[in-house]
Amino acid sequence: MRIDGEWFECDDGFVRPVVRGEILNADGRWEPAAFLVDTGADCTVFSAAILDVLGFDATTAEGHLGGVGGVVASVRVSTQVRLPRDDGGRAIFRGEYAAFTQLESLDMSVLGRDIMEMFAVLVDRPGDVVTLIRQPHRYAIET
Amino acid sequence: MTNRLTKLVMEEVTDPVELAAAQAQREQFDRNSAWLQAHASEIYPKHRGKCICVAGEELFVAETASEAVAKATVAHPQDKGRFVHYIPKQRVSRIYAY
Repeated sequence: MRIDGEWFECDDGFVRPVVRGEILNADGRWEPAAFLVDTGADCTVFSAAILDVLGFDATTAEGHLGGVGGVVASVRVSTQVRLPRDDGGRAIFRGEYAAFTQLESLDMSVLGRDIMEMFAVLVDRPGDVVTLIRQPHRYAIET
Repeated sequence: MTNRLTKLVMEEVTDPVELAAAQAQREQFDRNSAWLQAHASEIYPKHRGKCICVAGEELFVAETASEAVAKATVAHPQDKGRFVHYIPKQRVSRIYAY
């Protein structure tokens, strides 16, 4: 399985690795979302902007997430993330996700290791590659 | 992370109808994402602290994401590939790792 991402120019002018997919909203429809590929993140986290449009009542399931800037309040939602495979198929990741409630906490949703540990993750700016790979796909490093 | 979440389960979609709908949505999402990237240098500085929604390769701006989406939906009700994003108030380098 191979899931391709891209290098995406953000508001600060930096170009960051991103995978674009969808999140199942409260009405059962898929909401498009971009995810920053963050190998330092323990879990996948939705931005407050995306949480807003998903329409979940997440006020009763509060949590906290610790980052470089300290501990930030978050909520939990049970839903699905869908990512596109290179062969036209789709992979779905079903479970419980964290989401921020304050817009300034996170400008873009984050793809964390809860998903990425199922894959080999290639983030190669010089080669213009952002890819998640899992059997039967493989990669090789050549000299 | 201070509160551990439940383990995620991965499944593969095989329903051809669902896959076709997903692909159509993806193509719209691709167009809106490409449009945003092409206009990034104009949009980001002008709308700091706002939520944006790109639909039909057109920009919609509001205080909240749901407001931006509502505007976009009125103008482009058939576009299911909208690109929703919050532009931080300040242009600073970021360290993520949540």
